[in-house]
Amino acid sequence: MTTLTSPPGAAATRRTAPSSPVTGRGGPRQGGTILAVPALVWYLVFMVGPMLAIFVIAALHWPGMLQPVSFAGLGNVRTVLDDPVFWDAVRNTAVQLAVALPVMILCAYMLGYYVAQRPPGHRIIRYLLFIPGLISTPAKAMVFYAALSPDGLLNGALNGLGLGSLTDAWLASPSTALACLIALDVWSGIGFTAVLFAARLNSVPDELGEAAQLDGAGHWRTMWAIHFPVIRDYVGVVTMLQFLWTLFGSAQHVLLLTQGGPGTSSTTLSFLVYQKAFIAADLGYSQTVGVILFLAGLVGLLGIRRAFRQTY
Amino acid sequence: MKLGKRWLPAHLLVWTYAVLLVVPLYYFIVSAFKTNDEIFGRPFALPSSFSFGNFSTAFSSADLGLAVGNSALVTVVSLVLTLLLAVPAAFALARSTGRTAVVIEKVFSLGFLIPTFAALFPTFLLAAATGLFHTRTFMVLFLPATAMPLSVVILVQFMRTVPREMEEAARMDGASTYAVLRHVYTPMCLPGIATVLLLNFLTFWNEYLYSLVIIGPDPSQRTVQVALPTLKSITGTDYGVLTAGTVLTLVPVWVVYTVLQKRMQQALVSGAVKL
Repeated sequence: MTTLTSPPGAAATRRTAPSSPVTGRGGPRQGGTILAVPALVWYLVFMVGPMLAIFVIAALHWPGMLQPVSFAGLGNVRTVLDDPVFWDAVRNTAVQLAVALPVMILCAYMLGYYVAQRPPGHRIIRYLLFIPGLISTPAKAMVFYAALSPDGLLNGALNGLGLGSLTDAWLASPSTALACLIALDVWSGIGFTAVLFAARLNSVPDELGEAAQLDGAGHWRTMWAIHFPVIRDYVGVVTMLQFLWTLFGSAQHVLLLTQGGPGTSSTTLSFLVYQKAFIAADLGYSQTVGVILFLAGLVGLLGIRRAFRQTY
Repeated sequence: MKLGKRWLPAHLLVWTYAVLLVVPLYYFIVSAFKTNDEIFGRPFALPSSFSFGNFSTAFSSADLGLAVGNSALVTVVSLVLTLLLAVPAAFALARSTGRTAVVIEKVFSLGFLIPTFAALFPTFLLAAATGLFHTRTFMVLFLPATAMPLSVVILVQFMRTVPREMEEAARMDGASTYAVLRHVYTPMCLPGIATVLLLNFLTFWNEYLYSLVIIGPDPSQRTVQVALPTLKSITGTDYGVLTAGTVLTLVPVWVVYTVLQKRMQQALVSGAVKL
């Protein structure tokens, strides 16, 4: 019977658990784990299940909801890799990440440092910085639509300043559509990210900064040479979050503002997943891109984690 | 630390960004009370009269009233379901010392790495397979699942702070496991529960893509976030109506944020970084 306790089975370990804190009675701490089961099942059914299904559908030839399904193996991968639209989407996503992410994190860090110094009016600033975190994606898109449509705010302002020649149909022009989407990311991303940095910077002891100031370091030096190394890993975590958000979340912005156009000039990878599934009804293709997107996310996360590893 | 004169550029930049955050909101609020002519003629002037004509047009042309009702229903029922699932789970995981509990907690924390959007199409299939396609019901069942990782992880942290002696004392008086949860843990974790409620209120109320795909365009079922963008095509370029509709969807969030500002800010900060 001694063998019963040695395997790492759940039942065996649970039986030994109550003996440590509560002696005697049949273990009031026992039987609790069962309460976690409904939440776990719920989570597995609605989140993990569909997640795994992506990989299955990616290997199917499935040209529409009501069409016959056949096994395609890696055929979809070949179709996707041969498709110039896919490579346009890769390029757009790469540009979007390469511009939006550094700008957002850099500005947000400096803004967070600013707020953490409690300058005059920092309470108002802090209140306002939460705004983009509160409003929904469709509402944000409406804001940008109102600002950037041909007779919107920006063109109005340009006309008012006598710069009428600079006006453009910003969302409908191939050269600016992607830039508009990046502007939306940056506009809404900086505020909330800055609040996160400010909260973390507040927990850095004041003495650190003061000591540096006594040694003659200015705020610029203090910000980058003293505070940044201390919260480096935190900056990494926030960067990972924003990376995931930008990579996966762009589908909604694209859908609401440009529909991927004109042409493919603002089609991002995540919008391609949506478009192929719900508009073009090429389900195997869509989920193959989904798998690629997922892998890109994973690689990106690991890369960011490595780049921001604590160095002291 | 002292902020010297050299901070002037920093002040300027920060307040410029603050203005960029406020101006669109101001523009939306004043435009909601104006006609198109007024909006284009004097975009930043205060409206000449505070009539609610645009609001009623927005209400009738996109069925916004019904949509607000649907959103409220989906949000409230999903929140209740989230708590019913997450509180007992966190309670179990926080008290348990067994290996299973450790594994389950790991599974939940790994959930942060699953981007919700990725599984859009398979979730759509699931909705179709369960016969709940084009209904609010599926969203009510689905949204709590997306909230599970964050809610459980936050609640576990709060529940771990409850001293063991509290439970032992209750047990001495003959309390059952349910009574311990109900009368010892839940009251002591109210701040954690509030955090979870606020965070999820925001995500549920603001949820767009899944609602769009799963609930679809049926006005009797769709939520306000799905109804809002349709104003753009229905009203064409009637910006007054468009902005009135947008303002309307922001009101509930705004009220909650302003009333519970401190707590909401704490909740958002703590919820963002539990990676």
